[in-house]
Parts: sequence; structure tokens; C-alpha cells
Amino acid sequence: MSRPGLSCPGCGSSNIVDDALYSQAQLVCVDCGSVVSEGVLADDPVGCLMTDIKTKVSASHVCILRVHSEIEDLSNTYYNQAYQHESFIKVSLQKKEVLAGCCVLVSCRLLNWPITMGTISCLLDVDPMVVGVVYQEMVKVLHITAPIVNVTDVMEASSDVPEEFAEDSRALSKRAVALVELAADTWIVTGRKPIPIMMAAIYLAWQSLKPNKQRLKFSLDKFCQLAKVNKLRPAMKRITEMKEVLCKLGKEIPWVRVEVTLENVILQVGDILNNRYALLRRAMRTHEDALLAECQTRYEAGELSPNWGKRVLFAPPCVVHAKKRRVEQPGLKDVTGDEEISDSEIDSYIRSPREAREFALTQKILSESEKS
Amino acid sequence: MDSSNDDALDIIITNVVATFRTRCHLNLRTIALEGINVIYKPEVGKVLMKLRKPKITASIWSSGKIICTGATSEDDAKRGARRLARCLQKLGFKVRFSAFKVVNVLAVCSMPFAIHLIDFTKKNRPIASYEPELHPAATYRIKSIKATIQVFSTGSITVTGPNVQTVATAVEQVYPLLFECKRPLCK
Repeated sequence: MSRPGLSCPGCGSSNIVDDALYSQAQLVCVDCGSVVSEGVLADDPVGCLMTDIKTKVSASHVCILRVHSEIEDLSNTYYNQAYQHESFIKVSLQKKEVLAGCCVLVSCRLLNWPITMGTISCLLDVDPMVVGVVYQEMVKVLHITAPIVNVTDVMEASSDVPEEFAEDSRALSKRAVALVELAADTWIVTGRKPIPIMMAAIYLAWQSLKPNKQRLKFSLDKFCQLAKVNKLRPAMKRITEMKEVLCKLGKEIPWVRVEVTLENVILQVGDILNNRYALLRRAMRTHEDALLAECQTRYEAGELSPNWGKRVLFAPPCVVHAKKRRVEQPGLKDVTGDEEISDSEIDSYIRSPREAREFALTQKILSESEKS
Repeated sequence: MDSSNDDALDIIITNVVATFRTRCHLNLRTIALEGINVIYKPEVGKVLMKLRKPKITASIWSSGKIICTGATSEDDAKRGARRLARCLQKLGFKVRFSAFKVVNVLAVCSMPFAIHLIDFTKKNRPIASYEPELHPAATYRIKSIKATIQVFSTGSITVTGPNVQTVATAVEQVYPLLFECKRPLCK
């Protein structure tokens, strides 16, 4: 399309058209062919990608990412910086989109509005590992030190519960946050992916706010279907781990006469969470007394479990259920690296000439039979 | 090797990677034909040779560069490398064992306490970084000795460095930082 109002500096003609050479916008004079002006490669993609992200963000149903203007500005700045850097200037378009997402992520973290990488990867529809790789490279390139995201902060920021659950969203998120804090205190959160933990906490919180038969029988599968999210397998394990912790604390409630098991612990969740610190202290004390008594008898019997995880009340689950280590072969102690090497030993690694001939023949026969 | 603390910490070396050169061209086809314990990979252009004692896998390139992995100590790596060179000599190549260098050592160590990774990362930023969505361990990089330590919440750590001495130094450096973060439970 022609551009009115411009004249070519070379021949003075006003016949100037838009032309794109290798996706770079240029204004070219038709008569003499000289390039009047060139567009900068960086301009358009930045603009259109950022608006793309913003539209995806605003259209999202799963998560409310109300991005403040400060965050937008900061992420724009970072994106411009990163885009020009040599590590990112020649990457694919998809990676540039991921880069935009990572800039939004880091700006959110810096301005205290934590979101997870899972959210970004969901919005951009890419593998979270790809987001991770680009994020780490970008942070290194731009020398940003972003604060760590705490699961509890993310939960507070992203509590969005649809109406089908028929539950007060504030009560639900408060209880879910309390559950996550308890899980963090009892070694369930450290080292694990945050999203399954959040899912498990919300599910248990929902069940415990009105623990009738219908809710207790409602499986995690149906819960996730209702919330329109994909069920994550680790969430089942987190639910079991959280319930075990709640059981340990439930045993310490003085007014509960019935034995607290994994099935009926949901009824006690409210009381447990309201008094969790007191219950934790009681549980620790009871455990210490039990351990002392056990140690006495064990000492007399002469055995002590080598796994420190079994001796404390709360420990990271993989310590409690430790994998059996393969017994190390006793290594040779007097190796210097410069010893004599016997011929016979080396000969065991080499085929004799006859064996080599036979081997070559067999290979030839095999390859011929494969071809035919 | 023990650390310099009162309770002995077992640092178990699980892998030592070393390289050396034979200073002569190697015919990979001959090695594949006459060696019993070899796997030829023509698409990559190398031969994998495995030794029984010490348990080592070597990648052999036709230029004469060889990388040995799987040893459990620096001396073991050298022993395996020399055996390999002897083996190639017997196959008829004019091998001269030279430029032996240990390139990487991987060790694991277990602390008898759990570590709160978020506390650890907050106290040691920016040397430490922790992204639970990507990897369950916090990474601590000591630039001065070129060592990387991965800290797991269970108390296990893996250390990689250019040699065994670096690994030991790294464990000694990081132990007090880990000890600070073995957070007691009750508030």
C-alpha cells in the first residue's frame, strides 16, 4: 500500500510503498528503489505480544490475574531489555511469548503479587519446564533477584471459587490457607510443587466446612471437574499426608473421646486448625515422652533405628519412608592409579583374531538377512 | 573423608569423570570388531567401552580423546583410564597415555536433620535459588571454588565440583548454613 505525503530523498518521487524484507517493515520508493526508512524489528512484536498476553489474561476463567498498571509497566521494561539481549534476540516466536510471560511473572513477584509458573504455563499453553528454563535464563541475564514465592501467599492471591460449591469463598480460603500453613510446619510443603498442595488444601477445606455425607463422599475427581481444572495425581498423596498430620493432632484434642482415624478426622478439622499451635506443642511433648520410654527399653534390648525420620513426630515423608539404599561394595583401599596391569587382564577384553573373524562374518550374515 | 565438625559426616563419592588423550588417531571400527565389551555408535561417531574392574564406562572418539565416567575415586579413575589405554595399545594403536585430568566429581552427603528450604534460600540470596515448581531442591553455587550444591528438604545434599578437595571444602562451607535452617517445629 502506498504512503501519501512522503517523498523519496533519492529521486523526489512521492510513489512510496510499504514493503517487508525478511519481516522487517520498510518504506521503498517504487521509481528508484531506494529505501526511505526502515522499521525497527523490535517495535511491533513487543507491542502485539504484550497485548496478546494481556488479552489471554483478561479472558482467563481459571485464575484472576488482575495485573496492576505498575506490574504491566515493569514487565514491559524487562521485556524490552531482555528482547534486545543476545540470548533472546534470535529465539523462536514461541519462546518470545514465553519470555513475555516470564517478565510478567517476575514483575508480579517483585511487586508482591505472587503467581505461580503453573498459571503462566496454563495461560500460554506450554510445558511448565519450558517456562522454567526461559525464566531462569532471563533472571540470570537481567540480574534480577526475585523473592521466593510462598504457597500461602499464592493461595491468598488466587482464591477464586465458583458458586457451585455453595460455600463462602472467604471462609474457604481462610481455612485452606490455615491448612497450607499447617502443612508447611509439618514438612509437607518444602520441596514439593505448590499446585497439588493448594488443590488438596482447598478440597479438604471444602469438605470440612460442612462435613455431611454428600461432601465426604465427593471424590477429588468430581471436585476437579466441577472446578474445571485438571486433577493432579500428587494431590491425592498430599491429601493423605495432610490427613495423617491432622490425625496426629486430632488425637491430642482433650474433648474428643472417639478414636481419630483418617475417615472421621474431617469432622475435627475446624477445631484442629483453630488450636493448631497448642495441639502441635502437646503432640510434640507426648511424642517425646513416648520416645524416652521406648529408648529405655530399646537401649536395654540393644537396638536403635538408624532412620532419624522414624524417631521424630513430623519429618519430610521421604525420610520417613526411606528407600533402601543399595549396600556399597567395599572399595579397594590401596588404589594408587599407577599399578601394574597384567596382560591376561587386558586380554580378557580383546577378541582373538579367530573370534574377530567369526564376529565379522556373523555381522555380515545378519545384515544380509535383514536386507532380504 | 570427614568434615571438620564433631559428628563425622559421610561424604560418599558416587561418580568421577575424567578425560585423557591417546595422542594418536583411533579406528573405531577396529575397536568395535576386536573389543568384547564395546558398543559402537556410528551416528554420534564414538565407541563406548566398559571395564569390569574398576566399573568404568569410557567414550572413545576417533581423535583420541577419551572420557571415563563411573569411577568412585580419583585414583580409581586413573587406574581405569590406564587400563583402557593398555587395552587400546594391545589392539594395535600407538597409544601414549597423556593429559589425564579429573573433570567432575559428584558426591552425596546426608544430614541427620531436615532443612527448611525457603529459610535457607532467603538467608543466602542470591547465591542460593529455589523454584519448587521446577525442582524440589535448592541450588547453592559457590563461584570461588566452582562447586554446585543441591540441597533437599530431607537433609540430603549432592555436591558437584572439579575435584574431590573442592567437594570437601564445599560441604564444610555449606554445613553451618544448613545447620542454621534446621528449623524446630513449634512456635
